[in-house]
Amino acid sequence: MHIHLSLQAGSIYEQIEYQIRAQIYSGELKPGEMLPSIRTLAKELTIGIITAKRAYDDLIAEGMLYSVPGKGVFVAERREEELIQGKLEKLKEKLSSAKKFADENGISPEQFQKIFWEISEENHERS
Amino acid sequence: MNGLEINDLSVTFKTFRLDATLQVPQGCITGLIGRNGAGKSTLIKAIMRQQEEMSGSILYDGLPFKGNEREILSKIACVFDSPHFNVFCKAEIIIKFYRKIFSSFDMELCRSLMEQFSLPLKQRVRDYSLGMQKKFCLILALCQKPSILLLDEPTSGIDPYDRGSIVELIQQFMLDETHTVLFSTHITEDLDKIADYIAIMQEGKIDLFEQKDALLEEYRLVQCPYLTEKLQEEAIGVRKSMFGYTFLTKNREPEGEDILVKSPTVEEFFIHFLGEEEQK
Repeated sequence: MHIHLSLQAGSIYEQIEYQIRAQIYSGELKPGEMLPSIRTLAKELTIGIITAKRAYDDLIAEGMLYSVPGKGVFVAERREEELIQGKLEKLKEKLSSAKKFADENGISPEQFQKIFWEISEENHERS
Repeated sequence: MNGLEINDLSVTFKTFRLDATLQVPQGCITGLIGRNGAGKSTLIKAIMRQQEEMSGSILYDGLPFKGNEREILSKIACVFDSPHFNVFCKAEIIIKFYRKIFSSFDMELCRSLMEQFSLPLKQRVRDYSLGMQKKFCLILALCQKPSILLLDEPTSGIDPYDRGSIVELIQQFMLDETHTVLFSTHITEDLDKIADYIAIMQEGKIDLFEQKDALLEEYRLVQCPYLTEKLQEEAIGVRKSMFGYTFLTKNREPEGEDILVKSPTVEEFFIHFLGEEEQK
């Protein structure tokens, strides 16, 4: 596991979550692999303990990691469907926020769908 | 559990009056900030039972002082703003002295830390640089094997490299989740990094106590060329310069022309928070 933090790049726990998630998806972190303890993570990155805990807690809630009391925090097993399901959820989130933007700015559902199809077609043609 | 539970602690010192209630969570680092004379050192001295006349109660890892004096005094250690021993002595003499007073003194740890930070045993502490003196004091405190560590300005007046070492020692101490740290400081940069909770003191009172991440997430720092009525309504601790206004706001998405919005640092929060109090 490797993590680099930047004071300019948004909140610390989000940076940690993002980097651990990316390393799990890329296979750099293997299922069952043990991660450093919250306190070690805090010390090594010179960050607060609560900040480190927040990052792990979020990833545990997402199902990326799991913790065994008294033992430590580990990378969870990922099944293919779960990975896809996770990505679909993320996509739904992104589209919901686009829809919210449309509603707030008086863009009709028809216009929204039209643009959605245009984008889908464009990307389809390109690939 | 709380490492320290301070209830209605009251100390009167000439015209100054300390009136503090504060819960310092165990397993965490709490940073204490406030202007000079706000009562930070008085609070730390009171926790160390070095104030003669005080009322109210303090629980140490849940234990009241009365009836547990011996246990509590071996539980707490403090690094004061200046050395509390004869600095004309050589370091090794002081270590020997500490070893006699504190039965729990960890000689092995002391030796390895003195070596790690290249502190010569045979030199007088007076001849140490300020950074070396601070590190020496912290080592003496850590070797008492306390569970509650109090630090009064541990990083002030020393260079960034030495400050890094001190922060590292504090975090090393925090690897044990039953440990508690309370440190007062003007170097808010250290708090930005490692503090879990922030307490702000003013005129002998604790004005604010909150989890650091939550605090900095709750507020935004805004810079803008002119104040609209809406911005003014939300603004906390407005400071004016030649080029415009800077202030805190709880509105996470303030709107306006040529407006710059970011998360505050502890220092920015502190300055505007106090600014608002003064305007009242």
